[in-house]
Amino acid sequence: MVHVEINESGCRGCRMCVDICPTEVFEFDEPARKARVRESEDCIGCLSCSYLCPSKSITHSDFPVVKNFYRDLQFCRKKEAFL
Amino acid sequence: MENNKVRLNTDWLSACGGCHCAIVDLHEKILDVLGYVQIQRCPVLTDQKDYPPADVGILTGAIRNEHDRHAAEKMRKSCKSLIAFGTCAVYGGIPGAALAHTREELLDRAYRNNPTTETSVPPGEMIDSLEKIVTPIDEVVDVDLYLAGCPPHPTFIFDALLALIEGRAPKAQDQAVCAHCQRNMDRCDTDRIQSYHEGIPDPSLCLLSQGYVCLGSVTLDRCLAPCPKNGVPCTGCAGPTMEILTEPNRDIRTEVADRMARLTRLEQPVIIKAMERSAKSHYSYAMASRMIGEKSTFLIRKWIAEVEESL
Repeated sequence: MVHVEINESGCRGCRMCVDICPTEVFEFDEPARKARVRESEDCIGCLSCSYLCPSKSITHSDFPVVKNFYRDLQFCRKKEAFL
Repeated sequence: MENNKVRLNTDWLSACGGCHCAIVDLHEKILDVLGYVQIQRCPVLTDQKDYPPADVGILTGAIRNEHDRHAAEKMRKSCKSLIAFGTCAVYGGIPGAALAHTREELLDRAYRNNPTTETSVPPGEMIDSLEKIVTPIDEVVDVDLYLAGCPPHPTFIFDALLALIEGRAPKAQDQAVCAHCQRNMDRCDTDRIQSYHEGIPDPSLCLLSQGYVCLGSVTLDRCLAPCPKNGVPCTGCAGPTMEILTEPNRDIRTEVADRMARLTRLEQPVIIKAMERSAKSHYSYAMASRMIGEKSTFLIRKWIAEVEESL
């Protein structure tokens, strides 16, 4: 099952994840001005939110991995070495 | 005890030297590091001209001349593991922005027809001449680890050095600069792009919402966001986020335009066009790296020509 997490300190309250999610995984906490995960189980693992999040503060685990044939493989190998 | 310490060599290629200063910026924490590390060669601290055998090597700066190339090779041979330290070493950095012009144009501007000083001729025999292009060091020697940042914030340096000393696997954190900026990303009615010198930004509101082109959302956080926190739009000095580097269909200007269009009344094409007009600033730090330089969407010479035609 896909699990979604928001790094709370990184959330800037832009609501982009709330808007772009096709399955309404997120809700917006008005008093705190932060997005929250409403229902992680609904996530289909499209990763739109994680790409759009300006602070890169949304992480997914246990999502089905498809081979990214269009990725820059040369850099993907280097990525592991980034401190 | 001295023999158990990790032996460290550092060297300084085509760069400003800020990265070496950032190591000293560890302040008192450098004492913790020195408990484990024996600094052997370090251009700002020791008078060691040679390259003694070492466990860890830190290389800052890009490769622009024969000396840089020679030093990088010597460092690789003398060090068991080598860290590309700072944006210049990882992506080419500011010296890499020179790729927007030819070597002749650069020499002409700097020495023959410099508008701000008395001009002369380019230096000749005494120093190595410029190579044709700027090269990030990993295209010349094998690099084990990368630490981007201009310079990397001492917090990240300390973590990285301790991870190496303790032998734990270094963690790639890929949050963007926005994660440490304190501004609220609210939607606004802004309908024009503001130049950096125009107006005084609202201190609590996201710079994108106010029409300033801020690269925080497309830049790897290796700085803890000092610029946007203090009202200066991010210029992307730690290089692009992992998404932009790994995915050929994502680009600095399109990613910024996407988010800015959601926060303002500006249309995406307007933002993209404006960013192309000032592309030399937005792409300066990483254009020498193949990950950006060889993107099919990256057309710096065309954008510069368009601006020059319109003048």
